[in-house]
Amino acid sequence: MALHISTGPHLRSRQDTPSLMRDVLIALCPAVAASLYFYGFKALWIELIALACALLSEYVWQRLMKKPMRLGDFSAAVTGLLIGLNMPATVPLWVPAIGSVFAIIIVKQLFGGIGHNFLNPALAARAVLLTSWPSYMTKATVPLRALTLGFYEKTLEGVDTVAAATPLLMPGTDVKDLLFGNIPGAIGETCKIAILLGLIYLLIRGVVRWQIPVCMLGTVALLSWILGKDPMTAVLSGGVLFGAVFMATDYVTTPMLKVGQAIFGVGCGLLVVLIRNFGNYPEGVTYAILIMNIVTPLLDRSLNRKVYGEVKQHG
Amino acid sequence: MMKSFRGGVHPLPGLHQGKPLTDSKPVKPYVSEMVCIPLNMHIAAAPSKPIVKKGDRVLMGQVIAEAVGPRGIPVHASVSGTVKEVGNVQQLGARTSPCITIENDFQDEWVELHGLGNVENCDASAIIPAIQAAGICGMGGAGFPTHAKLTLPEGAKVDTIILNGAECETYLNADHRLMLENPVRVVDGLRAAMRATGVENGYIAIEDNKRDAIAAVTKAATGRKGVHVVTLKAKYPQGAEKQIIKAVTGREVPSGGLPMNAGCIVMNVGTAAAVAQAVIDGRPLVERITTVTGRVREPSNLLLRVGTIFLDAIGACGGYTVEEPGKIIAGGTMTGICAPNETISVTKTTGGIVVLNKQEATSMEESPCIRCSRCVEVCPMHLNPYKLKNLCDMNDLETARKNNIMDCILCSSCSYICPSRRWIMSSIKNAREIIAAQQKKGV
Amino acid sequence: MAEKSNKPTMRGVFINGVLNENPTFRLVLGTCPTLAVTTSAINGIGMGLAATFVLVCSNFVVSCVRKMIPDKARIPAFIVIIATFVTIVQMVMQAFLPSLYDALGLFIPLIVVNCIILARAEAFASKNGPLLSAVDGLGMGLGFTCSITLIGIIRELIGNGSVFGISLLGASYQPMLLFVLAPGGFITYGLVLGIINAITAHRQAKNPEKEE
Repeated sequence: MALHISTGPHLRSRQDTPSLMRDVLIALCPAVAASLYFYGFKALWIELIALACALLSEYVWQRLMKKPMRLGDFSAAVTGLLIGLNMPATVPLWVPAIGSVFAIIIVKQLFGGIGHNFLNPALAARAVLLTSWPSYMTKATVPLRALTLGFYEKTLEGVDTVAAATPLLMPGTDVKDLLFGNIPGAIGETCKIAILLGLIYLLIRGVVRWQIPVCMLGTVALLSWILGKDPMTAVLSGGVLFGAVFMATDYVTTPMLKVGQAIFGVGCGLLVVLIRNFGNYPEGVTYAILIMNIVTPLLDRSLNRKVYGEVKQHG
Repeated sequence: MMKSFRGGVHPLPGLHQGKPLTDSKPVKPYVSEMVCIPLNMHIAAAPSKPIVKKGDRVLMGQVIAEAVGPRGIPVHASVSGTVKEVGNVQQLGARTSPCITIENDFQDEWVELHGLGNVENCDASAIIPAIQAAGICGMGGAGFPTHAKLTLPEGAKVDTIILNGAECETYLNADHRLMLENPVRVVDGLRAAMRATGVENGYIAIEDNKRDAIAAVTKAATGRKGVHVVTLKAKYPQGAEKQIIKAVTGREVPSGGLPMNAGCIVMNVGTAAAVAQAVIDGRPLVERITTVTGRVREPSNLLLRVGTIFLDAIGACGGYTVEEPGKIIAGGTMTGICAPNETISVTKTTGGIVVLNKQEATSMEESPCIRCSRCVEVCPMHLNPYKLKNLCDMNDLETARKNNIMDCILCSSCSYICPSRRWIMSSIKNAREIIAAQQKKGV
Repeated sequence: MAEKSNKPTMRGVFINGVLNENPTFRLVLGTCPTLAVTTSAINGIGMGLAATFVLVCSNFVVSCVRKMIPDKARIPAFIVIIATFVTIVQMVMQAFLPSLYDALGLFIPLIVVNCIILARAEAFASKNGPLLSAVDGLGMGLGFTCSITLIGIIRELIGNGSVFGISLLGASYQPMLLFVLAPGGFITYGLVLGIINAITAHRQAKNPEKEE
């Protein structure tokens, strides 16, 4: 009889990479449901195409490069779905497709696959799409649902701006509309209640820690208030909430220490407010988080914590 | 108020640390037909030297191997009977260990014992020699000779003795049952150690998941001089020396130092009970409580003679529930050591035998680090395990040393929590062995 | 490699410049113009040819005067020689190819400080004869031209749907603007460099003796 021999621990935590990613997918479900409610089958198509292209790129790359197959960790699925949810409803279907391929091949796999990318793949893809096809990515889209239900009277035809930020340009938008997502924007970003449900699920399951989302949203609210804007509207409009919950909490591209995570969150919030109020773009969540992604290795390297028993020896 | 340290994990939450299997089972004595007693159950000194030969009849408690060096401890026969074999047998270590095999005649005929009497009135200077003569070493796992621990070097300032009843390791209930069934012995042992060292403060630290044990020990400690019971938060590795000192006293052991440098001595509650027996009755350490659990028919807490073969102990619990065990662990699932076969012996340090099935034993494949930062969160020494693992894998031991790799206590919390199933602790352990070898060569 | 064969031949030196020690993909020199002016194929080829002309001439002249220049003052001397030819190129281009001149803009005068040119002057021309140096300049220049034209073709094709201004992908193609912007330069350069390295590694793995 052969007994297994190894060092400890002999039993491991049940939480593993696939289960974490699965939890993120589950947390995205309310946002997906909201997108279906507001935009119908077009939203479903966008999400499915983005998802399928991400999975396919991952599969093809790992197959061609003879890398171990890691489709089962669901990380490509998360990336794909995030890209889908970040599209405006009017986008042609090939745009999310290219976004997914770019995210998986260029941003993730070329840097060594899962755990090695220095940018959040979904956000990097969004930035690429935003610079490449600004006209498609920035068309303001009123929820179809809102139009048919008739409680959205302002017509936005011809308004051409970054989708997610449109409400920023329209003072007087009802907070209720902001919360339920009855505003123009990317299909998954508008319904804040759905996103908050996702955040609560992630926190309860212990998938994400509170530091990044809370610091980021808090900074946005505080700075907007200082600048004389309504902090509630600032947090609820645009892509801030979605970014804070699903984009800025990506493990790979955020700092390891709690302090670092808090600084990361504050940095994201600061950049969002700066870009919104003083930059050329009406919305800056994507670039804010991407910039902080790049800062992450610096934070990891420069921050240290006190090791047990360290100070007494030197002091 | 509950005391604790920063970091740590709550292992196996679904199984409640595997403890419910045996936490309400009273200790049952079990004696096997044969015992194989290793002579290197302690660390920090050479193996004891055998003084019996094949065919000799030995009595229970008779010295069969004598101490080597000032830190060494003698080994006693744990049964009365005939010596069958004196030679090397495969035990837990990489190499075989010197062992004495005795066939039990079930007479349990004791040698004559000379106790010192009551721990409060006896001659304090006689306590440490009595502990050495009883062959006591740390029963929590490491096996450091207890008399050596209590013999303070010149100038050492120790003001606190902590009895470690945390038993944070998964599956094990040996200490829990001991504190519940024999709390007076535990307190006596603490008093003996306090008197031997002249220390005024004694703490018995118990995790809050053992409420009944806390009540029992508190009752036993009432009216005893300088003895306090401390409730600790149930968390792994609460029972690690440095963590328990931090939790109880708020002090930190300086990097590279010993508990003594923080004015503390930490002893396991099992060791304390053995000390009490040695002092009061002069009884040597020949048996201990071991939790036999996991994939066995009747998980139990057994009072086993030192040298009992694992297979016999498992047989006493009704045998395996699986056709073939996947892994047999001496100790709990966090830091326990894998048995190479079923025929190794229970030693003075074996707190538990955990049997895992094939599926539990098969380790999952490592996948790339996703930088989830869980290892950083849980490290009780506040290190960066992910960084150390990378440095070890890159063989950059010098940088690893600068990142405090030598401060790691090998608790494996990081490996436990890692969602990518990385063998963080193993890599760190290997690297430390290499560093230690290099330092030895260099000096 | 040049040091290995004791007597460098014309052919060897030329091929070395174009392939084995391709300045862009092997020596990774002259990355500024590689990234900045390759938004279209025609820009790439224009820049490449201008640099080639300067390389050939400066290499030749530096080689001719190499024994007269004191060691300590050689870099300023090289720069003066190179700057002369760059000025000639700039003026010629401004006169006869004004649209290309406008497109390349500042990068024409910046050829003066292009690492490739100074590096070849220092590493090759100051140690070898004039003819051989001119051939080296030609090889290096053509290698540079080919490389940045390749990058220009890729970027123009993806970012504008055309090559050398000729629309290839049809009117329905939606150009990926990113590729004619700065990030596209980095991405393309990185990808091409990576592919070339992969091919070389693959070849070396196949017959390790032939290479090296």
